[in-house]
This record gives sequence, structure tokens and C-alpha cells, in this order.
Amino acid sequence: MLEKIELIKKNFDEDIKKVNDLSSLEEFRIKYLSRKGIVTQIIDSLKDVPKEDKPIVGKAINELKKYTHSLFDELKNKLESEKLISEKFIDLTLPGRKKEIGSKHIITQTLDEIKNIFKGLGFSVYEGPEIESDYNNFEALNFPDDHPARDMQDTFFITNKFLLRTHTSPVQIRLMQSKKPPLRAIMPGKVFRNEAVSAKSYCLFHQVEGLYVDTDVTFAELKGTLVAFVKQFFGQDVKYRFRPSFFPFTEPSAEMDIWWEPKGKEGRWMEILGCGMVDPNVLSNVGIDPEKYVGYAFGMGIERTSMRKYGIDDIRILFDNDKRFLTQF
Amino acid sequence: MKISLNWLKDYIDLTGISIEEIIEKITYAGLEVEDVIDQNKIYQNIIVGFVKESKKHPNANKLSLCLVTDGKNDFNVVCGAPNVAAGQKVPFAKVGAIIPNGKFKIEKAKIRGEVSEGMICSEKELGISDNHDGIMVLEESLQEGISFSDAMSLNDIIMEINITPNRSDALSHIGVARDLSAIFNRPLKFPEIKINETKVKSEELAKVEIIDNVNCPRYVGKVVTNVTIKESPDWLKRKLKNVGLRPINNVVDVTNYILYEIGQPLHAFDLDKLAQKKIVVRNANENEKFVTLDSKERILKSTDLMICDAERPVAIAGVMGGENSEVTFETKNILIESAYFNPSSIRKTAKRLALSTDASYRFERGTDYNITVWAAKRAAQLIQETAGGEVANGEIDAYPKIIQEKNTFVRFSRIKKILGYEIENKEVENILLNLGFEIINKNEDKLELKIPSYRNDIEREIDIIEEVARIYGYNKIPEINKISITLEEKVDNSDFTDKTRNVFNALGFYEIITNSMLSENIAKEFGNPIAVLNPQSSEMSHIRPSLIPGILQTISNNLKVNEKDLMLFEIGKIFNQKNYQINSFEDFEENEYLIAAVTGKVSRDVWYEKERDFDFYDLKGLTSVSLNKLIPNISFRIEKNENIKNYYEYSVKLKIDKDEIGLLSKLSNKILNQFDINQEVFVLELNLDKIKNIEIPQKGFVELLKFPKIYRDFAFILDEKIESETVIKLIKESGSKLLHNVNLFDIFQSESLGKGKKSLAFQLEYFDYNRTLTEEEVEKDFRFLINLIETKLNAQLRGA
Repeated sequence: MLEKIELIKKNFDEDIKKVNDLSSLEEFRIKYLSRKGIVTQIIDSLKDVPKEDKPIVGKAINELKKYTHSLFDELKNKLESEKLISEKFIDLTLPGRKKEIGSKHIITQTLDEIKNIFKGLGFSVYEGPEIESDYNNFEALNFPDDHPARDMQDTFFITNKFLLRTHTSPVQIRLMQSKKPPLRAIMPGKVFRNEAVSAKSYCLFHQVEGLYVDTDVTFAELKGTLVAFVKQFFGQDVKYRFRPSFFPFTEPSAEMDIWWEPKGKEGRWMEILGCGMVDPNVLSNVGIDPEKYVGYAFGMGIERTSMRKYGIDDIRILFDNDKRFLTQF
Repeated sequence: MKISLNWLKDYIDLTGISIEEIIEKITYAGLEVEDVIDQNKIYQNIIVGFVKESKKHPNANKLSLCLVTDGKNDFNVVCGAPNVAAGQKVPFAKVGAIIPNGKFKIEKAKIRGEVSEGMICSEKELGISDNHDGIMVLEESLQEGISFSDAMSLNDIIMEINITPNRSDALSHIGVARDLSAIFNRPLKFPEIKINETKVKSEELAKVEIIDNVNCPRYVGKVVTNVTIKESPDWLKRKLKNVGLRPINNVVDVTNYILYEIGQPLHAFDLDKLAQKKIVVRNANENEKFVTLDSKERILKSTDLMICDAERPVAIAGVMGGENSEVTFETKNILIESAYFNPSSIRKTAKRLALSTDASYRFERGTDYNITVWAAKRAAQLIQETAGGEVANGEIDAYPKIIQEKNTFVRFSRIKKILGYEIENKEVENILLNLGFEIINKNEDKLELKIPSYRNDIEREIDIIEEVARIYGYNKIPEINKISITLEEKVDNSDFTDKTRNVFNALGFYEIITNSMLSENIAKEFGNPIAVLNPQSSEMSHIRPSLIPGILQTISNNLKVNEKDLMLFEIGKIFNQKNYQINSFEDFEENEYLIAAVTGKVSRDVWYEKERDFDFYDLKGLTSVSLNKLIPNISFRIEKNENIKNYYEYSVKLKIDKDEIGLLSKLSNKILNQFDINQEVFVLELNLDKIKNIEIPQKGFVELLKFPKIYRDFAFILDEKIESETVIKLIKESGSKLLHNVNLFDIFQSESLGKGKKSLAFQLEYFDYNRTLTEEEVEKDFRFLINLIETKLNAQLRGA
């Protein structure tokens, strides 16, 4: 009996190789798997097997049944799907139906990146008006009247008391006037400078200002925070330095440079931000006791940072909004 | 400011320190070196050559063929200069040299068929002067073959240093040397003054009277007689040229030399041109005219401080001298002015006259009132050395009110608190001493200090802390690598605009950022713009009252480069003046707006759809989708805009309750033509300030429908002027509670319907959350609505 089963399996294997379409498959099915088929018959013949042989023969028959049915089903599926494809041609290489997604301006993208880094460091985000009072833009920030420091920022005036803000620093003043320390915030926005439009400068640009005021703020922490920022923004192995500078609203003041090596060009130090400890006069101007509280502040230009990142050398292209430019980012 | 390394060495010993180290350390102390010119490198491969022969070029009339030698080898050179001749010593640029003016490299070349192996240079080509009339001819005694820079003693290194506005003390070579002295802990060498003075006192030869002692606290005069005005000696000319100054004559050059040595601006008057040999310091008369040294007539204000003689003004104090008292080659007797002026007075005058000079630049930043006498003596000494003459005894020192020197203090604990790092007390003291501070008193907690008179930027403890930190070195203060975060409320003002950008991006719009300044003509068409007092140009004289011009300009620019299908948006501030004058924030409005525009084609022909132009309904749909995302659960409605501006062809208002939040419009051809746009443009303007703070109601979860919906369709033929909104409203308002949605699924217009008619087809959706509806109740409502529409709108049910 077991030999018979073995023989059926062998014949089955040989016959199935000859099946090449659905009609020969049907013939094959009738021969083996139909009610009168070879496999069905041998299953039926199990009842005639002596009782003592039943366990062994039964197992063999059962395996044969599983084996033949699964091979048959597999072949059937294959032949059917082949038939379907050959009947109805589907060109899967046709281009898909597209829906265009827009993008943020790269200035916004860069700003978002900067914002995300500082939000992760516990900073809030505040915004302020673009037309400012002379007081908020200069006086409260310790720019004396008739002082050459005012020449550092060429100003568009509206009247002698109102102007287009030359930096985002007046938002510091607004924030410190409206809230008590601890204050930790960045303040992004548009600023204006009365400079001739050229490849290097535009009459407006974007800045991000940072401010932290509390009882135990230090220059060492300012350095640490900014280093963490440049590493995250420009890469962990960025080379940087701090050097003393002058801003009326901070003291000590510093500028941070990073080492910049554009492809194929000589490397050099590039200024990326200004920073320092909030000048005690500024704290006094907004009613915060400078003996008790210490603050740090920093500010950076977004355009220059984006241009560096993407290798753009003419600032004006940022404001041309040519679609061929916009779709690149 | 240009600082010469050789000149610096007059005041500090820099042996053993490389130029690289000087540049780095001085930058790290706050005097940023922006550029370095090494003259030795500039003149590489340029030597003293001897012209052995010079003959006419066979193929060119104006050229010569020369044979130039460096003592070892001979070179054929084609030269175009008219003055070249055999026997001259000349600056000769060999192959490989880079010509300083123009930065081009000399290579072996054939000029009109003749080989040329180098170039004989003019002064202009060498960057020495503007003279380009011919080649530069050198002294015959020079040895051929030696380098040009050695021959001319052009072996200096010039640093371009960016001096911040607070550091007026560093606007001179001694000022920079003083910082170097503190950085390298080496002594500062102050020049010694030895003069042979006559017995006649300066006071006997001239008089000084100060009328305005607020703006002129100190005026020192010193007289030198019988001088010979001539060209300065080479050493003096070279020093001045190296820092970018043009030598004039020995006396003027000496005053400039001292300006660059110590930072004290001086002026030399021709004493014999001063009426009664007297100086009076007073204010100008209103609208008084005065001709300055540059031969320009200036109109003065009564606030301008003037240096006058007994009769008339002779100089604008601290800014520029006058032609009428100028030192000329005939001058014999000289009065040297060495004064201290009030910085803000000088700044006002210089700014108003738009006249910034080396003198005004320093006076307006603050000079050293204590150096005036020294500077006058130093000038007398150098004038005597270069122009001969006799120096009168002593100085006239008009100093009505002695300026008190200032004191301050610093606590060691405060240094640590601000910096977050402890610098040893001894080191703090040493830094301050090297910078010229005097320690009046000290204990273990603090130092009491006298501030040197040249440091007018220093007053407070924080100023001292900065001095200590910058000399100690910012980079030596370790950065903390752990911060604590306070748990105060975190705010993000930019949340809503960020979300808006994301929504518009997802809908396919690209963000643009445009100039906020417009020309008056354009700005006034779109609102009541605010004017800029000092615009850069007439193209940018007003601040934008609307975002439309910016986006139209962008569309126009894109059309020019053949980018015609555009979906753009901008988020930005717009400004409108409310009152006639701006005296407060109440007199104008600053609002954050969004503008979105669609123009051109929705899509070009593709295999799955035909190309189609953007129309009003595209933007209308995008508007609904975006508002549903931005202010979910807030219903807005669209209202006709009766009074539209002429830049719209048509326009509808977007409203939430009674509040207008924006406009949805098609722009008029008139305005499009103005921007050279020849395709339709649809814009959405949204006042973000009005919607960003809308409170979004927290809606609960709506249970999912468990019962089947029943749909009914009908179509009506009605007058084409009846708006779809009217029909939908009627259906919604009159239908039963079970009617939940009305969908306009087809619009059809054809002659067959009758003239002026159209067909609108609707699908009605009925359901109930609690039960299955019966066909009868739906049918009843449906019939009722048909009847209603037919009677109320004079419509005819189609297919009936």
C-alpha cells in the first residue's frame, strides 16, 4: 500500500509538470483530484486497510492529500492570474496622477530650524511690530542720542519718533516690560536697514533675537547655549570662536564666528551672530533690578545663514521669488 | 582703520611674536583685524631693473623694445610708455609677478610679434599713486636686481582693523599698542619729547578765548615761528602713505602723523592770517557762510561750534579748517590747535554737513582731554625737526573748568557672577594696570580704580568686567554644557502663522517673501500708506498697505521667465495710516495678512486630464478647505462685496458673524496691465490678526451613523440669474429635520432649456441617528420641496 502511495506521488509530480494552461489543468484535476480521481480513490481505499496498518497508511495518505492539493492550488492561482494579465493589459509604467505640494520660503525654513532648536532648549517664541518707536528701538536699548553707535544701523524713519525697526531687539524691551523674569525667549522677525540694495545687502532682512533673564545667568552659559546651537545647526564638528565686539545693549559683548570653507575656496572665519550679557542700563530701563537679575541676549541674521547653508551668493534672489528658485526647496 | 606694523614697533617691542599671533590675539581682544596687506608679498618678483637698450618696436609706432637686466640675466621687454629710455633704473615685474593694481599675472607673451618677458611698471600699476603718465623711474644709485620693496622700503605689514564705536582710544597706533601691551604683558614705550624752546612765550604771540566752554572744555595753542613749509621727509611721507593718507606739506603732515600716533586731531593755522592773532571759540551765526579747506561753501547753524579769530570764523571746530587761514608754502608762523570738544556737538555738525573727517570721526567718539598739551608739544617738536623754525615757550592752555577724572570699582564676586568663571584676583589687577587703570584702593573683595582719561567708554563696574574678560580672552572662559530650564509658561506667538503655512503648502501653494516698500503711486492705489522720511529711492518711498502689489510683481517677474502657472502665498505685515500725523501707535494700523493667488493653468495637458485655467471656484474651494483646517468648527460665510475697489473685477467678503476676515476676488485687467500680466489672477486676502485668536470650540465626538441614508435627486430648470446659494438655502431652511446635506451635482445650460434658463441638479441626503427612515416620510418631504421650489422660484422640475 505504501509503495502504491509513493508511486502515485511520483506520477503526480511528473504529470503536473506537463500542465501548461487552464484546460490541461482541468484534465489533470479529473485524473487525480476529482471524485473518481486517483488520489480520491486511494483516500477512499483506506477503509479496506487492515486495522493494524491504519495508523501508518492513514498518515501517508493524509500527507499525499495535503501535498497534491497544495501543489494543485498553487498552480491554479498562477495560471489564472497569467490568464487575467494576458486578457487585459495594464501598463504599470504610466506616470501616476500627481498633486503638487508647495513649500515654505527658504528663509522660513531656516527660521523654523532655528526655532525648533531653541524651543528644545526651553525658549518661548515672541513676535513684535515692524514699525517701532525710537524709544524701543534705540533709547531703551542704551543707544544714546547723538552717539556714533546709531550709525551702525542705517535707519528708515517714519517720523522723528517712529521708524522701521532696525533689529528685533525692541521685542526684548516689550517682553521685559510685560513679563517678569525668568524670561527665556527667541524673537524672530523682519527688520529694515537703509542700505543700498546689492548682492550683499537688501533693504530688509530677517533676524532672530534671543533673551534669557534670571538670577543666575552667566556668560559661560551663553557660550554653552550658542555652541549647542551651532553644533546642531551646522554639524557637530563645526569650528567656532568668540571675539569681543560692541553693542550698546549688551556688555560684555561678543561676536561668534564659524570657520567656513566653501567648496573649492579658501576657508575663513565668518561672523554668524552677535551676543552678550544684557547691559544693566537696559534692565533698569524696563524696571528689572540689574543687581539681582542677569541676562544674556543674542541675535543673528537669517538670510546670511540660509545663504551660507545653500551656497547662495546674491541676497536678491531670495526676494525675486522666481518659481524655479522656490521649487528647489 | 589702517595700522602699520612698523609704526606700532615705535611704541612696543614685538620681537619674537609672529604677525599671525598678533592678528589672532588682537582680534580676540576686540580689535578685529579684517584684512592684512603684506607689502613684501605684494611686490614679489618685482625688482629694480636696468634698461640696457631701448629701440622702436618694428611693428608698432608707440611701443619700444627694451633689454632689461637684473644684473645676471637680460630680458626682452615690450614697453608702451613714452618716457622709457636706456640707462634708467626701473621697477621691473618679472614673469610670475602679480601687478598690485589689477591683480594680473605677468606671463611671457608675444606683443605684435616680439617676445616680452616682463613689464616695466608705472606708479599706478604698483599701487603707489595715481600717476600713469609713464613708467616710474627710480634713483640711479639703486642696485639692479634687489627687490623693489627693499629698494623703496616698502616692507611693512598693514592691518585693516575694525574699531567699534566705543573704542575711540584705539583709533591710533599708541592706542592699539596699549592693547597689545596688555595682551602680551610688555611695556608701552611713549615717545619722549625734547624741544629747544625760545624765551618768547606762546601767550605773548597769540591769544585764546573760549566763549562756549560746554562744547569746548579745553583749547591748547602752541606757536612755532619762522618755519619753512616744504615737502615732508621720506620717512614721514612713507608712514602716512602706508596708512592711506596723502602727504601735503611738512606741517600738515605732522598734524596728521600725530593724529595717527596718539589719536588727538590737531589743526595748524597760519598765525599771520588770524586777525589780532587771536582765537575765539564760539557758536556760528545762523546761516553764516564759510568756505572750508576743500573749497566748498558751507552754511552754518547757530548750534555749530566755530573756531574764530578776532573777526571771523577760521575753522569749523573739530571738523575742518577754513581756506582763509590755511597753511601754504608762504606761511612763516604757525599756531597749533590741540583741543578737546564735546563729542555730541561735533557729531551734530558733522552729520548735518555730511562731512566726516579723520578729526570729526575721533572727536565725535570722544578724545583724551589730558593728551592735548602733550600733542601740541609733540607737534612743535616734529615741526621743528621737519620745517625748522623756533618753538615758543610753553603753551596757551584755555581750560576754564578742570574735568574731573572718573573713578569706578569692580567686585571680584561680580566678575564671577557675570562670567560664570573665576579669574584670579592678581590677573584681574594686572590686566587693568596694563590698560592704564590706576588702583586707588584694593581689598580682597574689590578694586577701586581711576579711569584713564582716554577711556571715555568706561564708567561702570560692568565696563571693567568687559575689559577684564576681553583681555583675559573670551575663548578661555569655558562654555557650560548643562543648562537648567525654568518651568514658566512657554509661548509660541508664531504657532498660527506656522500652521497657516503648512496648510497652504499642502494645498500646493509656494511661499514668497516680497519687499515691504513700494513706490508712492502703487502704494496709494491699495490703501493709505505710510511714507518713509528718508527713502532709499522713489521706488521704495512708502510702506505697503496691501500684499497685492508684492504678489503681482512676483507673478509679473515669473511670467517674464515663462513660469505661467502659479499658486503663491505670502504672510506679512501691512500698514495703513489712520490719522493725518503719526504721533503714537494709535495713528496707524499694522496687521498681519495672508495673500494667496492662483493664476495660469490648474494643470497642463496630461494623459488623465485636459488642461484647464484656474478660476474663481478653484480658489474658493481652497479657501474653504484651508479655513476648515485653520479654524475648525467655526462657520464663515460669503457675502457680496458691494463697494469694490477698482483693482478688483469682482470680489466677495469672508465673514465670521459680523466680522469681515478677508476677501476673495478676481483682479481687474486695469491693475493687471499695470504689472504687465496678461492672464487672470484670483486672490484671497485674509486678515490673520482677526482669525489667529479665535477660540476654537472643543466639539465632542460625534457618534458614527448606525442607520442607512436615503438619497433623492432632482433637477430644475430656472432663470439663470437665480443664484445656486438661493436654491440651496431654500431647500435647507424648508426641508425636514431629516435632511442633512444638499449637494449641487450638476449645472447645465443649453438653448434647449429655453433662453436665459439653466438647469441645477441636487442630491438630498436624509438620515436619522436613531432609526431607519421610511420611504414614505422621505418622499413626503421631497415632494414638498419640489412644490416649494417650483412656486417660489418659478422653476420647472426636469423630467416631470
